[in-house]
Amino acid sequence: MDFSFNETQLEVQKLANQILTDQTSNERQNQIDEQEDRFDEQLWGQLAEAGLLGTAFSEENGGMGFGFTELCLFIEEVGRRVAAVPVVPVIVSAGLSIQKFGSSEQQQRLLPAVAAGNMIITAGLSEALAECPSAPASTAVKDGDAYKLTGTKIAVPFAHKAERILVTAKVGDDVGIFLLDPKAAGVELTRQVSTSHEPWFEVEMTNAVVEAGDVILVGSEGVAAAQWIAQRSVVALCAMQVGVADESTKITAAFTCEREQFGQPIGAFQAVQHRAADCFIDVQCLRLTTYQAVSMLDGEREATNEVLMAKIWAGDTGHRVSYAAQHLHGGTGIDKDYHLWRYSLWSRHLEMYLGSSAMLLAELGKQIAAGNAYAE
Amino acid sequence: MKIEFTPEQEALRKELRVYFDKLMTPELQEEVAAAIGEGGGPLFWQAMDKLGQDGWIGVGWAKEMGGRGLTDIEQFIFVEEVMRAGFPFPFLTTESVGPILAEHASARLKAELVPKILGGKMIMGIGYSEPSAGTDLMSLKTTAKKEGDEWVINGQKMWTSLAHHAEWIWLACKTNFDPEVKKHSSISIFLVPTNSEGYSCSPVHTLGDVRTNATYYDNVRVPADHLVGELDMGMMLIFSQLNRERLSLVNSGAFAALFNQVTDWARETDLPSGGKVIDQPWVQMNLAKSRTGLEALRLICYRQASEMTKGNLPMEDASAAKVYGTEFFVELYRHLGEILGVAGVLHRTSKGAVLKGRLEQLYRTASIITFGGGTNELQRDLIARGGLSMPRAKR
Ligand SMILES: Cc1cc2nc3c(=O)[nH]c(=O)nc-3n(C[C@H](O)[C@H](O)[C@H](O)COP(=O)(O)OP(=O)(O)OC[C@H]3O[C@@H](n4cnc5c(N)ncnc54)[C@H](O)[C@@H]3O)c2cc1C
Repeated sequence: MDFSFNETQLEVQKLANQILTDQTSNERQNQIDEQEDRFDEQLWGQLAEAGLLGTAFSEENGGMGFGFTELCLFIEEVGRRVAAVPVVPVIVSAGLSIQKFGSSEQQQRLLPAVAAGNMIITAGLSEALAECPSAPASTAVKDGDAYKLTGTKIAVPFAHKAERILVTAKVGDDVGIFLLDPKAAGVELTRQVSTSHEPWFEVEMTNAVVEAGDVILVGSEGVAAAQWIAQRSVVALCAMQVGVADESTKITAAFTCEREQFGQPIGAFQAVQHRAADCFIDVQCLRLTTYQAVSMLDGEREATNEVLMAKIWAGDTGHRVSYAAQHLHGGTGIDKDYHLWRYSLWSRHLEMYLGSSAMLLAELGKQIAAGNAYAE
Repeated sequence: MKIEFTPEQEALRKELRVYFDKLMTPELQEEVAAAIGEGGGPLFWQAMDKLGQDGWIGVGWAKEMGGRGLTDIEQFIFVEEVMRAGFPFPFLTTESVGPILAEHASARLKAELVPKILGGKMIMGIGYSEPSAGTDLMSLKTTAKKEGDEWVINGQKMWTSLAHHAEWIWLACKTNFDPEVKKHSSISIFLVPTNSEGYSCSPVHTLGDVRTNATYYDNVRVPADHLVGELDMGMMLIFSQLNRERLSLVNSGAFAALFNQVTDWARETDLPSGGKVIDQPWVQMNLAKSRTGLEALRLICYRQASEMTKGNLPMEDASAAKVYGTEFFVELYRHLGEILGVAGVLHRTSKGAVLKGRLEQLYRTASIITFGGGTNELQRDLIARGGLSMPRAKR
């Protein structure tokens, strides 16, 4: 039973924290928010240079060869600074999945360039009212060596900049995993405006051609592979939520020590302290359930229930901490010259992306009913 | 980071589960149920003897003290399994007061009491609270004054649980009366035998059926070496005792077992309209919420046990565990109780009681956990100060 991090892990965490803290001043973030795309390309380049984008890519793929744990510690720091860098879709949902299931040609073609910060890839895991990439409504039919995909993916981050978009589609009774070229005929991108300002796109596929070289896999193993991808993506979102919620709590506690009313810091009022203490507890619960899921996935262990529970905590903690932080700030919290508003929006984004608490509770409930989720 | 037990620890858990399956005979279970989970009956004492003989009580105690010398994790595993089994283990004596007594009591009393604790022969009462000193414990009024080689104790304690089974009371008294001295340096701890002259005990009956007591100290005399640790520095002992108590209070073992029982019941029980109880979406929802909350609690507890092996248990973490655990239990009982329907409020002695009326009873006993062991308001104050560096609240 060891809850501590080894030296490598602590180093990754420290390096990430240093770069991200240096490069995310409020002025800088304000500038980024003025852009059409909320994307800090300069920071992305610095993270690449430091090797962080390739944290969990193998050395052949241009990475550092560390595990999912190291990667999630990096992602937590991204959350802590609500930095405008698409680590989860690019590095986890697309990158790790290609490293796991892609051919060596696909890996070599894409991953070193991604690690170097020269290429964006992404994943389209959501469809309207279907957050589950292992049961997509989109379909693919074989056409010679290629496949033709039809269907609509939504909330696809950075689709317009992506070299390829990882998508899943039904192939008969199986599920296939494909690398869609956003410029291919039959693909139409329409910008969506997301609450967190992450550039999102609706990706409409009408007989969109995926050439043989871009097929990752099709077959009976497709569902399990799609679940593998979904689980890592979900847990990466949880890790980011740990950073967002932990920092929101700290920002709030610090603010209440400064802000005075009735001749004393508002943090001296017991009611204020207790609301903050509840955030502390919520963050602790989120952190522990997330780390457990991270550590199990890192060891490639079965973790269906643990992943569900971590994301349920990510939703609940995100919601409660975000509103408590805003509440305890009074008007300052919503002032766009202050930084808290970004945390609130990212809490919400992470709460809702790839499954809300209610939806996942229902899924966990089914596991319990099936006798698959007894308590230890 | 490896959030799992070592193979040896897994083996220990399995061993204990088998052990307690055997120990908890139907007769003992019946005795325990009738005593509202309190213990103290003849079969209880037999079982305690066996636990002592088999060396289980001091799993995590140092070898020099007569324990097995394993870490706090093994001690924690033991407590978890005892609780899962539903045995009314006197963990306040063995887990909380015991180790502190073993460190700070006089050599003579240590030699007398430690073997008794580890042998399963003794329960201790804790005498802190008084009629007018609850959360504000340091305002207590019971006094101990030195007369020759003896301490003379006068006052009244309230809520002295288990005093009616106890041979000894772990008693907090005021010993410094200098108004210039801070309250936290004016209290001392004494070990008081319950057969002392001038000691008496009367029952207090509670909502949860559990008996507790008012205890009275009328010129009770104890020898000088019944003072534990340093004179006037008793609050330090009380703080470390309560910190340890908090960990045992929210141990998740019993609740995991309860969750599993209700799950099994819902999976097996037919609905009159067809299908099983668990087929209903709201039942699955209640169970899923319970399961998710329980998972966090389990990890909080494991993390604390693992921190304790490294000798650090940050105050805010112990407090967070106490607040989260106790407030979660209240929710858990409600969510599980709803699943049982109106039969869930039938007393265990009633016709038609479900799962031996456990949830009916738990609903009643749960009201004390949020304020007992250091009220949650104070715990939140501690979290705000220790974990978030917020200012000290005005009192
Ligand atoms: C069944 C049972 C068994 C017990 N066993 C023992 C035992 O064995 N030994 C022992 O010594 N004691 C025991 N206790 C006593 C227990 O520790 C006290 O009940 C507890 O400390 C609270 O004190 P009180 O009941 O006087 O409530 P009070 O202190 O009067 O508190 C009442 C309410 O006021 C709130 N409050 C108080 N101060 C503050 C503050 N500063 N800020 C905000 N809110 C505040 C509390 O949170 C609580 O909600 C037992 C109690 C019960 C019910």
